[in-house]
Amino acid sequence: MKKSALIDLIGIKMLFILLILLFACVLSPALSFSQPIVLGVPISRGYPDGVDAERGITLAVEEINAAGGVNVGGAKRPFKVEISDTRDLEAGVPVAEALLATERLIIEQKANFIVGGPIRSEAALAAMDVVSKHKTVSILSAGVLSPAYSKRVEENYDKYKYCFRTTGSVVPMIGGTLKTFESIKAKKGFDKAYIMVQDVAHARAAGNLLKEGLEKQGWKVLALEIYPTGTTDFSVGLSKAKDSKAQILIPWFDMPEVSILMKQWFDMKIPALPIGYIHALQDEGTWKATDGKVAYAVVLYAKAGSVATKAIPMSEGFVPNHKKKFGVEPRSEWTSTSYTVVYILKDAIERAKSLNPDTIIPALEKTDMMGTYGRVKFDPKNHQIIENGDPKETAVGMWAQWIDGKRTIVFPDKIATKSLEMPPWMK
Amino acid sequence: MAYALLPMVSFVLGMLVLPLVVPSMTWQRIMTLSCIFALLALSFDFLAHFVGIVCLGGAFFTGVGGYISGLLNSAFGLPMIITIPVATIAGGAICTLFLIPCLPIRGIYFAIVSLMYPILFHRVIQALNIFGGTDGLPGLATFPNIWVELYFIIPMTLILTFGLRRLVNEDFGIVLRAIKDNDQAVRASNINISWYKTKAVFIASTIGCFAGACLAHLYGWVGLSLFALDFSIFPIAATVVGGGGTLVGPILGALILAPLSEMLRAFGPLRVVFYSLILAGLVIFKTEGFVPFLERKYHQFERWTEI
Amino acid sequence: MNIFIFGLVNSVILALMASGFALVYGVSRLANFAHGALYILVGFATWLFLNRVGVNYIGSIILSIIAVSVLGGVIYRFLLIRVKGMPASEIIASLAIGIAIMELFRWRGFISEAYMLPPFVNGSVSIAGVMIDWQRLIIIGVGLAIMLLLWLFTHHTKVGLSLRAIAQDKHASMMSGIEPDRTAVISLAMGSALSGIAAVVILPLGNITVETGYMVLTNAIAVCIIGGLGSWAGVFAGAFLLGFAEILTAAFIGPQWQMVVVLLFIILTLILKPSGLLGKQKELEERV
Repeated sequence: MKKSALIDLIGIKMLFILLILLFACVLSPALSFSQPIVLGVPISRGYPDGVDAERGITLAVEEINAAGGVNVGGAKRPFKVEISDTRDLEAGVPVAEALLATERLIIEQKANFIVGGPIRSEAALAAMDVVSKHKTVSILSAGVLSPAYSKRVEENYDKYKYCFRTTGSVVPMIGGTLKTFESIKAKKGFDKAYIMVQDVAHARAAGNLLKEGLEKQGWKVLALEIYPTGTTDFSVGLSKAKDSKAQILIPWFDMPEVSILMKQWFDMKIPALPIGYIHALQDEGTWKATDGKVAYAVVLYAKAGSVATKAIPMSEGFVPNHKKKFGVEPRSEWTSTSYTVVYILKDAIERAKSLNPDTIIPALEKTDMMGTYGRVKFDPKNHQIIENGDPKETAVGMWAQWIDGKRTIVFPDKIATKSLEMPPWMK
Repeated sequence: MAYALLPMVSFVLGMLVLPLVVPSMTWQRIMTLSCIFALLALSFDFLAHFVGIVCLGGAFFTGVGGYISGLLNSAFGLPMIITIPVATIAGGAICTLFLIPCLPIRGIYFAIVSLMYPILFHRVIQALNIFGGTDGLPGLATFPNIWVELYFIIPMTLILTFGLRRLVNEDFGIVLRAIKDNDQAVRASNINISWYKTKAVFIASTIGCFAGACLAHLYGWVGLSLFALDFSIFPIAATVVGGGGTLVGPILGALILAPLSEMLRAFGPLRVVFYSLILAGLVIFKTEGFVPFLERKYHQFERWTEI
Repeated sequence: MNIFIFGLVNSVILALMASGFALVYGVSRLANFAHGALYILVGFATWLFLNRVGVNYIGSIILSIIAVSVLGGVIYRFLLIRVKGMPASEIIASLAIGIAIMELFRWRGFISEAYMLPPFVNGSVSIAGVMIDWQRLIIIGVGLAIMLLLWLFTHHTKVGLSLRAIAQDKHASMMSGIEPDRTAVISLAMGSALSGIAAVVILPLGNITVETGYMVLTNAIAVCIIGGLGSWAGVFAGAFLLGFAEILTAAFIGPQWQMVVVLLFIILTLILKPSGLLGKQKELEERV
């Protein structure tokens, strides 16, 4: 009897505490607008891509603020970062969460700009409507490789002109990739490819484009296999690749399970060079964690910058600064893009001399500066970053191979530090 | 008289007035989202405690309702006034059709089948890459105004809640409750239980599809995440927190849990940890639910009444 | 041949993942949705012992398994016991605890792809023309050994027999002096230990991520449904059916249809024979 009365009392207390919490959060003062420029960052904080974006952005903001801030028509103002966890990369979470988070950043936290995410294409596409409705400029710097994003901007410019993207898109990514494969064909005389892609829109699109493009170059594409997200066994596909004598294996995955693919590749000693978009292998610690089984894998980074190279001066400062602040080298391409996106915004604000979207948008369209992945220029028609040329002229991606425990750039030739190496069982 | 009416009136008034007193638009949005979840919780509670069917397919309803509404809007340009009702009824019919084969089985097995359906649909849409595939269909029509949104969804929620409460006391509802208690006895009375169960599932799925259709037009988007597991699990949590069997409990539960989840967002990844711990705590230590608890407390106090 | 060997490996992996869940459900009728969380808990704990504390591999494994068994028992004894008998509350409570544990790891930063456990033996060997790595062979061995040990345990030791007794008829066992609560705690501890053993042999194949926890839970439930809740042979049968179905679909139809096939299997099983292939769950009461 006594025990249940006590529990009842605690129950009522809990109810009151809950109510008080509710009021406290509801009545908490909105962030004041006066000095800082608020950057709203809706990302999935519990995922590697989100962590990368967060790191890139916070590092850049720190550097810029330490140097005095952003010059807005004469007044120097600091950046302020408001990060909201959208959980949009998680499987069971509806996109409505991400949209709510983005809207909240704009309405409650008074974000002047949205940078970074949302990271998942589905969420970002839906968020376009949210940011456009609130007339807030948004620059994507992580994920969202779907071609649909820039297409929407182009088709309905007046509605979606607030949306910019620096991450890349499948079509130009594949264009660059095909050039790399052409150069491999010329150098090594390979002509048989086996493609394995993840079952998501951008990977499937990539797979199809690769098949088409490679066959035009004269390659024989032995297979194009699609694996659902979360697959843990690739033995069947790998055996088929081995039996059909493939010379290069093209994985295109952003799920972490691809490390299983690589381990199996190594253990089964498949005589095909793995070269593709193997997101999980971008982490600096992958070599140690797999006991070196990722050796010889050539990993595509949608944008360069995570590995320092003389051809891109900004990367030579970025990589050690990142290591100093976070203890590890930059991981995926999104760290590099998120770092640069803050500088892009700073540059545009300083040229526009105001925060008004009507002046910022044309200023962004005229962007022409050097970033951690080459030169930054936007296509004014669809607000997509221009890539795939010389790093002095456009943004570039990079291919880094795992050689002797280090990520070493092997393509494109203009920024490469070493040439391609073959696994010993392929000689 | 007032004593009996006070809880209900304060609940109705509270819900109608709340959007006016919250400080910002996001909280109003949260209120709409809570109502959508509340509708899902309502349909779950109705099936679980009045018909004896534990249906974990909340996501199935939102997915089907949302996609139908979205497709009608994007492919045929039909306005929301048409798409939402059509999606509600058509969606309800489609969901019921899929659930009919599973009606004869009971208990945990039906629950698991209904849990699997949304995942199945998700994978099929993904594999066939139809209806926008993994990108979804953005850019649909939205409610013209946050107020229209609020004062469409909130009254609908109230109407459906109290409508159902009325229904379970009508003949139809009594038969359903009898089926829950002892279906063989009902069968022996020469009543076709399958037909009654089908009708009950239809009611529940129309409510769910309505929620899904509204969700699609809230942000103007449909996508694979309409089949997200969250939509199946949240209703159960809301029902357990609010008190199953009362039909008002789940609504209250949803109105507590959804804003709670949003308030905890500031904690980043720790948010889900807190949220699940609070949920576990409520389930384990306050197992009867809020509404029965409040009911008990309300009736506990002595009062004078005029005769 | 290829398909046979990898199908076998896949099936044993599924059986191992499901065994802990099946044990707990079979004995105490508690659907332990924290199963996946305990699985990755062992994985991360072993990693931590190995890399941060510096214990050797075997020691880390043993410590983690003991830790998770104790945790499993504690969770039951102090938390889940209060919602015993109410299936909806049990599921929510155990699921919520499981999610809390998994998300705790996410918050503490265990999210990169670099969390891996080293395999027990490196290298691979060729069997009948198929290259297979030692770790997978070890999995097959351990899986079969566990099945055997469990069978022996539940048929020849006092504690094991009491577990079976409770599973068969609670009231009769209570009359014989077997306490259902204590048995439930033991079964949960054992179930956690089983998921731990599964974790340490399977995780070296890939990496440890929080998503693995959710995946393990789903797989365990799928296997138990198809094979039949409450039956050991059922777990095995279900695992093999599912394991081979997955591999065959991947090989002949296409990997993207794998999940669809699995789900269809589950739905068909539930519609046609709800107690699963070999389940002994009160069949007559299920159908109306």
